Amino acid sequence: MNTVLSRANSLFAFSLSVMAALTFGCFITTAFKDRRVPVNIHVAKVMLKNVDDFTGPRERSDLGFITFDLSVDLQPIFDWNVKQLFLYLSAEYTTKSNTLNQVVLWDKIILRGESTVLNMRDMKSKYFFFDDGNGLRANKNITLTLSWNVVPNAGILPLVAGNGHVSLPFPDAYETTRSY
Amino acid sequence: MLSIFKTIPTHMDYKGQKLAEQIFQGIILVSAVIGFVYGLIIEQFGWTVYIVLAGFAVSCVLTLPPWPMYRKNPLSWQPPIPEISGETSQKPPEGIKKKKHK
Repeated sequence: MNTVLSRANSLFAFSLSVMAALTFGCFITTAFKDRRVPVNIHVAKVMLKNVDDFTGPRERSDLGFITFDLSVDLQPIFDWNVKQLFLYLSAEYTTKSNTLNQVVLWDKIILRGESTVLNMRDMKSKYFFFDDGNGLRANKNITLTLSWNVVPNAGILPLVAGNGHVSLPFPDAYETTRSY
Repeated sequence: MLSIFKTIPTHMDYKGQKLAEQIFQGIILVSAVIGFVYGLIIEQFGWTVYIVLAGFAVSCVLTLPPWPMYRKNPLSWQPPIPEISGETSQKPPEGIKKKKHK
């Protein structure tokens, strides 16, 4: 504390410690918050095809096309420890070979300050809904869930599943379109 | 260049150093509390950081330069003792020195 440099050093060190404590406080104030919100998913149309999957073994695999409506209000999730949300819509189902299959169909990043109300109609999936075999045909329980990663300023990176998922049966035949 | 900087007096006396430390700790803690509450209310952590940085700048201005208020209690040094060639006056300091270095 005798010279300018030693005073600058202790001042800087103290400020950094205080800043670290504040960041931890920011984490603590939001760590135990429930970040689930109700989600409304409605599937308008499902189409099932059987096509060559060139990424895997040369067999024909099931490929589903889903058209869905999605409405959700994400405003309650945002607080001072949220930078952005990563939303993704995933399909979960069981086949003979695997008890749990998860396929991400669609995703979206919502930055802080953007519109938090999503109201989308007739959305097509962003990514191919490929099964690794023929597990989609006549599968009676394919569950669509919207989940999100909360990207914080400080602290853990929670992965939250939205309240409200929809289960739908897939058609029994290929190349047919079914409307719900 | 360096010699110019070295001629600038930067030291504070002991009470001044203590006062400077208390002042910057107080300013930064107060700005931290204000920033935390304000950031929590408007839900922007960025503002908390800005307010703490402002407190940092203010305390830099207030405590880095050796303002006169930090130099009010200078140490009262003993006046320089003129060197006397007499043996009686030199003996006691020597004896003390030897004891200290042992």
